Amino acid sequence: MSLLSVENLRVAFPSDHGPVEVVKGLSFDLGRERLGIVGESGSGKSMTGRAVMGLIGKPARVTADRLEFEGQDLRALSERQFRRLRGARMSMVLQDPKFSLNPVIRIGEQIAEALEFHTGLTARQRRVKVLEALEAVRIDDPERVARLFPHEVSGGMGQRVMIAMMVVMEPALMIADEPTSALDVSVRGQVLDIMDDLVRRRGMGLMLISHDLNMVARWCDRILVMYQGRIVEELGAGQLGAAQHPYTRGLLASVPRIDEDRDRLPVLDRAALGACQ
Amino acid sequence: MIGIENLTVRFGPTTVLHGVSFEVANGESFALVGESGSGKSTILKALAGQVEDWSGRMTLDGTAMKRGDAPHARQVQMVFQDPYGSLHPRRSVDDTLAEPLAIHGIKGRDARVLAMLDAVGLPRRFRFRLPHQLSGGQRQRVAIARALMLEPPVLLLDEPTSALDVSVQAEILNLLKGLRQEKHLTYLLVTHDLPVVSFLCDRLAILRQGRIEEQAPVAALRLGQLTSAYGQELYRRSTEG
Repeated sequence: MSLLSVENLRVAFPSDHGPVEVVKGLSFDLGRERLGIVGESGSGKSMTGRAVMGLIGKPARVTADRLEFEGQDLRALSERQFRRLRGARMSMVLQDPKFSLNPVIRIGEQIAEALEFHTGLTARQRRVKVLEALEAVRIDDPERVARLFPHEVSGGMGQRVMIAMMVVMEPALMIADEPTSALDVSVRGQVLDIMDDLVRRRGMGLMLISHDLNMVARWCDRILVMYQGRIVEELGAGQLGAAQHPYTRGLLASVPRIDEDRDRLPVLDRAALGACQ
Repeated sequence: MIGIENLTVRFGPTTVLHGVSFEVANGESFALVGESGSGKSTILKALAGQVEDWSGRMTLDGTAMKRGDAPHARQVQMVFQDPYGSLHPRRSVDDTLAEPLAIHGIKGRDARVLAMLDAVGLPRRFRFRLPHQLSGGQRQRVAIARALMLEPPVLLLDEPTSALDVSVQAEILNLLKGLRQEKHLTYLLVTHDLPVVSFLCDRLAILRQGRIEEQAPVAALRLGQLTSAYGQELYRRSTEG
């Protein structure tokens, strides 16, 4: 049985000219694997992640023929039931630790918050768990870091804290929305390594949402390429070179290479892409 | 065009640049590469006159800069990373582009604004739009247009494409490359993205913890023949991810 099963997912926002669909009938299954979702801004990739987490509120409308997580129908859940799920069984890592950590709460307390909400552990047990979670994301002196405020740590460390917060409950599904875009290239590798390790050791399912085609291709088992709310192509790891869809090929061609000798970079011909949709 | 000699910058008790020296020739495109905290953006800030506590020697077009002195806006302009933050949200494209003209008492506002819109590839109908009505790529075009309004010979580019989608990045990189050829501009580009350097620049300097580790022609980067160990490490990370 797959961890997450999505069929014909649609997200629509109302506008003056009737509803506008930003996700247009998406279907995919996720097992205990690393699934990459790639696309540009506005392709609907983040909305897909949010829809699964039940984080899209009114006035948007989320519909699906099937939206199942661990055999549970997510469409039927009340907000209260969803809260029990979020942070415990499924969780989300966002792009920028600067904006997603609470600036006035110490790191250790922020991580413990999920434990306080979802479990009946005592303060002492929670503290042990927090230090374990920090260790799991390769923070060397968890005792010290737990006492710090978010502004006292670097971007890479902040992102590891975010991941610690997500894994402290050992969720079955982690949705990472551009987890490394705000980080330096050097720290990027470390953060991806940590997530990779968690997927392997704890058998988590990972949905990695990113605009970086090459990065996703290196780190995921499977890639879905999204364009204007639809999946235009599905690729296995390492099959990026075999991409068929003109959008995927256009994206790949427009990335400069380190041995660049082209005088101009090819640019996506959006009019032609619109025609082949 | 740009000469930096033994530039040292301090922020309070911390020294962030330790005696950095390099030169950029007229019409050249030079890249400063390094991780966050390596001091690459600080060099741009110093050149733009935004740093108080510096020592050493900085020259622009042969003229030495004095401390507490900002270079003339007609000499140097800057383009920033985030086009969402660098444009005034309540000012139309027209206001943004015409303001430098008004400040410097330059006539022919209409013709100049329209010519600049053409130069950066923005349709003329965008002239009276506000930033929120533009996409990220279009905003960055406005930011580049604003920087070029006073026709400065030097542009300081601080990660000009890292906030953009790859396909849009390609458009802006093409634009920057074309403008440089057309208007014979000198670029000083800050980035952590080596492929961008390979596309847009002639030479690069690699910075680490406020010191230049190595300077190299872009050909050495393309062939993976950087000489310093740190340069090699950056190259490896960039090719392996």
